[in-house]
Order: sequence, then structure tokens, then C-alpha cells
Amino acid sequence: MYPVWEVPGLTAGGVLALIATFHILPSHLSVSAMWLNLYLESKAYREERPDLLEFVRKYSRMLLIFAYVFGSITGVGIWFSASAAAPRALSGLIHNYVWGWATEWCFFLIEVAGIFTYYYTFDKVDRKTHLNIGWIFALGSWTTMVVIVGILTFMLTPGRWLVTGGFFDGFFNQTYWPQLFLRTTGMFAIAASYAVAVASRSADERTRADVVRIASAWGLAGLVLGTACFFWYRASLPEAARATFDVLLTPGLQKGMWMPIGLMAGYFAFLRFRPMSVGFTPALLAIAVLFVSIFSFERARELIRKPYLMPQFMYSNQIIGGELPAKGVSSETAAMNDKGILRFAPFVPDGLREVTDANRLEAGRMVALIECSACHTLSPKGLRPLPQRVAALGFTDAESMAAFIDGLGSYPFMPPFVGTETEKKALAAYLISISK
Amino acid sequence: MDTPAMLQLLNDPMGVPFYPVVFQVLMVLTFALHILFVNLSLGATCLTVIGRLKGGERWTRLAGGMGQAATASVSGAILLGVAPLLFVQVIYDPFWYASSNLSAAWAIGFIFILMAGYASLYLARDRQGDAGSAFAGFAFAMFLTAGFIMHVLGFQLLQPEKWLGWYTSHGAASTAGTVLHDFSLPRFLHFVVPAFAVTGVFLMLYSWYFRARADADAAYLDWAGRLGAKMAFHATTIEILTGLLWLIVLPRDLRFHAHPLFVLGVVLGLGLLAFLYHAQDRETGHHLYAWPAAGAMFATVLEMAAAREALRVRYLARFGYAIADHRLNIDWGSTTLFFVTFVLCLVVLAWILAVAFRSGRVAGRWEAGPGMKAWGKASIALLVSWLAVVAGLGVAITLRNRGL
Repeated sequence: MYPVWEVPGLTAGGVLALIATFHILPSHLSVSAMWLNLYLESKAYREERPDLLEFVRKYSRMLLIFAYVFGSITGVGIWFSASAAAPRALSGLIHNYVWGWATEWCFFLIEVAGIFTYYYTFDKVDRKTHLNIGWIFALGSWTTMVVIVGILTFMLTPGRWLVTGGFFDGFFNQTYWPQLFLRTTGMFAIAASYAVAVASRSADERTRADVVRIASAWGLAGLVLGTACFFWYRASLPEAARATFDVLLTPGLQKGMWMPIGLMAGYFAFLRFRPMSVGFTPALLAIAVLFVSIFSFERARELIRKPYLMPQFMYSNQIIGGELPAKGVSSETAAMNDKGILRFAPFVPDGLREVTDANRLEAGRMVALIECSACHTLSPKGLRPLPQRVAALGFTDAESMAAFIDGLGSYPFMPPFVGTETEKKALAAYLISISK
Repeated sequence: MDTPAMLQLLNDPMGVPFYPVVFQVLMVLTFALHILFVNLSLGATCLTVIGRLKGGERWTRLAGGMGQAATASVSGAILLGVAPLLFVQVIYDPFWYASSNLSAAWAIGFIFILMAGYASLYLARDRQGDAGSAFAGFAFAMFLTAGFIMHVLGFQLLQPEKWLGWYTSHGAASTAGTVLHDFSLPRFLHFVVPAFAVTGVFLMLYSWYFRARADADAAYLDWAGRLGAKMAFHATTIEILTGLLWLIVLPRDLRFHAHPLFVLGVVLGLGLLAFLYHAQDRETGHHLYAWPAAGAMFATVLEMAAAREALRVRYLARFGYAIADHRLNIDWGSTTLFFVTFVLCLVVLAWILAVAFRSGRVAGRWEAGPGMKAWGKASIALLVSWLAVVAGLGVAITLRNRGL
């Protein structure tokens, strides 16, 4: 419905995926780091260990800069790239969950004021007050996760919302609790890997040994509990999503999910017993390994939503194919089939609204932009490129291609074609033309 | 398809979960706070550059303070920018999405430009000499560019009649998103010139705040206060001229000069100018005017944010668009959740800010009194109670919906 943004070789959705995955690192760090800080700061006061306090200060500085420079801006980046990739889906989410996001924002206020005050008041305020700032930050920050997980899981399993349209019915859905606990436990592995990296630069041997030992225990616990929660999460998925999970998940993606977990577990276990062998470069590599795992998990979460962006309601190409009587919304597909997608959609150059012999390929390309480009690049290289996919099907004439397009809806992960017969033929002709 | 029909089609079919005017009020309020922080970020970063280039004891010291203020202020600007960005998508969704997608590469570029600027600001803080000035200068250039991109997106948004033309190139869809299609220099200037007025008032507050410390350097603080008052006055004078210029280039049919909110804005702006003239026209004691100046400035900026919104309403009324026409699907549960959380979080936030405020005003270590201690404990209790109530609600709903 909105102007399409084509990103060469990537698709706008690919940009969203990259920004969103990067965002996980600082955002989960900001949610988890303070718990480790609170433990270490209390220990430092209890045992009168200024060296440990010095570590807490350095770790907080890293948290302040990394999470509140790159974390908060990429958080906004997710919105911007979601606007570009799927404006109608984002709009749909916002028109249901605006108060959820606004609620999360209230806790952002606490987070940002909290981290600046926490970092700048070491030795400036009494110990108890400083710890209280930490507690408030830790609680407020984790609460942002409590809120956002409701919206994230709604996109996967909207539950009773499909019937009632109610905020909380969609929010507390069947995957809410497992995913909340999965992220909550997994985040300690992230906090631990950063703590190890910061500690590896510490000149004081005692600090290095103590922090690495403690952090690796936290990391190991996070990985073990996180893995358990993952199986709980997987079991909570609807049948169709689990089937898609098995079909669409490439071996690479599956390996990407599990191998890093194994590697990280080995790394933390090794450091637990040999903390002094920690090094800065391996610690950075470990963060990169963890990133691969997160990327794979998030990709898998996105993939199993197909062919929908909002299950049973809005397709991956942002066409509303379901009914939501509770909010007075009905499917658009009948009107689009009747009127034609090129006449229905507002952002279509005037010369392409009517398919003619002269503009057939251009009009077909316009249909592909509207209905396919959310997931497929139209260029030969990049993310799920249409020229290659069509060539692989082996069709050489527009009629067979059109017949294939007719049956798209029977694939579990593809939305059906919408539009008139003429538009379908134009799309088929265009697809054949780019596959040669 | 004519423009009103296009807008109607683009409007989200789900409707809004509460009265649109409530989102509008929240949007204006949070935008006013956002733009104040944006202005402080720009102005403080610029002073960091100037201070480092000028050198000397006072300027170097000021550059250090402003560099630190700028980092916190950028965070504040981002934080306070999220809220109006959210609310604009609730009541002006077709406009925001169309405008940002027409220049999508720039909208995404904005993120990286902002990150580069922010990172550079931190790098500047850790470096002396030319390298430090260069990093600070780069940060300023990036922030200004980011501001310009936001200006363009906000300006393209007002012109839906031109969207399809911008999207079409040689009869085909133009999908690169690499063009910034339209801008208005007077409008942009009217948003960035106040950087120096806001930072000027901030300097007056700075002069007032640190005076209370036992280790205060009164001469330096006097100098900073005077510099701030002069800056604020001169920038406000220029601001009134840019406003006049903007009014001249506005489409005639909007008749904005006759809008009551515009007239009120002029009255407040001139009042602020007169007050700032009075405040800067003296040798010392500028800090005594800091709070009234800050209050007057906040009132003026808030009013101008409302006037800006009124102008948008007029622009879009030309296409038959009114936010009141959104379908209402009121959701009392989530509305209550937000407002209760908002009040609760303000109580907690105020404690954090009070700790920051009080501890910064003493030279050594600050000890919280019994009142502050109790407030701190209560803040933790409030957050835990919030979690308990929401978790209880969640469990109840999960159990109720299970198997349905």
C-alpha cells in the first residue's frame, strides 16, 4: 500500500533483520548487566574490595556507552526500518499496542536517568543509595522486557486477540511466558560474555580471576536454563509454526542456533576453572559467536511467522487476508481481486493502473513490487532472488507460470496471489522475462 | 485516485484504542520536551567545539562541561523522541509512513548518522587538542544532518498531493528511496536556531546550580552565566526573524497568521525576548534569572509545539483529513495500564533525578537523608508491585484463555 523501498541485494526486510539483530546485543545487555553489577557491587562493599568496585565502574561505563548510544539508537532504528519494510504491519501493531509501547517507554525514562545517575555517582552518594539506584535500574530495565515480549510474541501467536481484539488477550498469549523466560535466562549469557571481555582488560589479577569466575558461572547458568526454556518455547508453538520450523530452517540456520551455544558453554566452563587464561581477543570472538546464535534464533522466529506478519490476519506482503470482526476489519482480498491490485493500491504510477500490451512487463513488475518484494529481491542476486527462484521452477512460458501463481496459496509459507486475471498474467510474463 | 481517497485507504483499519485527541496532546507535550533536548544537544555540542578551538582556562573548562552535558542531552533527546514518534504513527500513520518510505534510505541513514555523531561525541570527550575538536565538530555536523533529515520527513508529510509524483520516475515506480524531495529552509532554521537560546538558558542554570557548591569558582560561573544570557537573547532575536520568514513562505490559503495559537506564540515569543533582554542587560547576577528564563522558555516552546500541530491540522484539513475521524476501538485495560504506569514511573524518576541533583551540588560525598531513603525504598517497592500485579493479571488471563 505504501511506497516500496528496494534495497539492492537485501530487501528492506533484510535491513530490518540486521538492525534488529544488532539491537539484541545492547538491549539484552542493558536488561541483564545491572544484576551482575549489583551482585559484584554488594560483594565489593561487603568484602571492602575497591578493585571490584573499579571493575563495576568500568563495566557500567561500557553499559552506558554501548547500550545507550548504540542500543537506544538502533531501537529507534528498528522502528524506522520496520516503517520501510512493513509499514502496514507496524501500523497495525501500533494501533493495537500503542499503550504497551508507551508503557515500556515509561520504564525507558527510568532506565536512561538511572544509568547516567548510577555511573556518575560512584563515590558521590552513600553506598546504600547507590545500590538502590542499581536496583531501580535493574527492575525498570527488566520490566521493559516484560512489556516488549508481549508485543513480540503477539506477532507470532496472537491467541484470543483474533476473536476479541483485546490488548491483554493478544499480549498474554501461548508463547509469552516461555519466551519471557528464554530471554530472561539467555540475557545472563550476554551479560557474562561482556563482563569477561571487560575483566580481561583489568590489570589487577585478583579482580580478573574473581570476575571471570563469577561471570562464567552466570553465563553457564544462563545457557543451561535458556536451552531448557527453548524447548518449552518450542513446545508452546502452534502445530503449523512447528511444521514451518522444520521445513524452512536450513541446516545452516539450525547449526547457527546450536553450535554457538555448545561453544559458549565450553568457553564458560573452561574459564570457570582456568579464569587466568582469559584474553581480550577470545572474549570479543565469544561475543561474535553469541551474536551468530542470536541472529539464528531471531531469524527462525521471523521465518516461522510465514506466510503472515500478523498470523491469520495480515500476510507477509501486508495484505489483510483475515477478518477481525471485533475491530470491524475485513479481508481486502475480495476487493483486490475484483478491482485489481494496481487500481486498489495508491502508490502505482498512473500509466500502470491498467495492464496493456505495451506496459505488460512494467505492470507485472509493479505487481511483483507490491506482492513479492517484501521477501524476494527482483534482482538476480540477494535475498531469495525471484529470477533464480523462477528459473529453478523450470517454467518457460507465461501460462504455466500463471498456473503456478494460482496455486501459491497452497504452499504453507506463501501468501496467495491477489488481483485480476490480467494482472496475474502480467506478473507471470514479468517473472518469465527476468528468469531467462 | 484523488488525495483524500488515497488517505482514507491508507488509514489503518484497526482504528485507535483511545480518543485521538489524547494521543495528540501527549504527542505535543513529548515533542516539546524532545525538541528542547535536541536544541540543547546541538548547542552544547557546538559550544564544545568553540570552547576547544578557543582554548584558555574558561573555555576549556566550559567545553568539558558542555561535552558532558551533550552526551546526556543526546540520550534525553532520543528517549523523548521515541514518544512523539510513537504517537505520530497512531494519529498520522499514512503521512509518516508515506513520507519516510519515499526517502527510506535517508530515514535509515538517519540512524547511522546519529550513531556516528554520538560515538564521536564520546571520542571527543576522551581526547585533547585538535583530535578532540575534530571529533566534536564531526559530532555537531552529524547532529545537524540528522536534524535536517527529520525536518524533510516532517515536511514531506504535509504534502500528500505530491507523493505519487515523487514516487514516479519515467512512468515507473522509483523505489530507491535516496531522494530528499522537499525542504523549507525557514522552517528548518526555526527549529535549530533555538539551539543557542536553549543552551544559553542552560548555561544560566549551570551558573546557578554549581554556585551552591563549597568549591565553586564564582568568577567562572559569573562568566558562564553572562555568556548564556547574551546567547539566549541574541538567538531568540534571530529566532523571531526566522519565524517571520517561515510565515511569509507558508501557503496563503492556510491563513496561519490569523490562528489564535500563532498569535499566542508571537506574544509569548516577544515576552520571552523582552525578559531575556532584561536578564542579559547587567554585569553580574545573571544566574538569578535562570529559573524564570527556563520557565518562560518552556512555556514558549510548549506553546510553539502546539502551534506547529495546529499548522499541521490546517495543512491536512485541505485533504479532508482529521484525526477525530479515526475509528474508535476503545481499550480501557491498556489505557489504564499506561496512565497508572506513567504516574508510577514519574515518582521513581523524580527520586533518581533528585539524587542526581542533590549529589551534584555538594563537593564531597552526599548522604541521603531519611526522607530520600524512604522515597528510594518506596520506588523499589512500586516497581516490584507493578511486576506482581501485571504477572498476576498475566497468569489469570493465561489460565482463562487456555483451551479456549
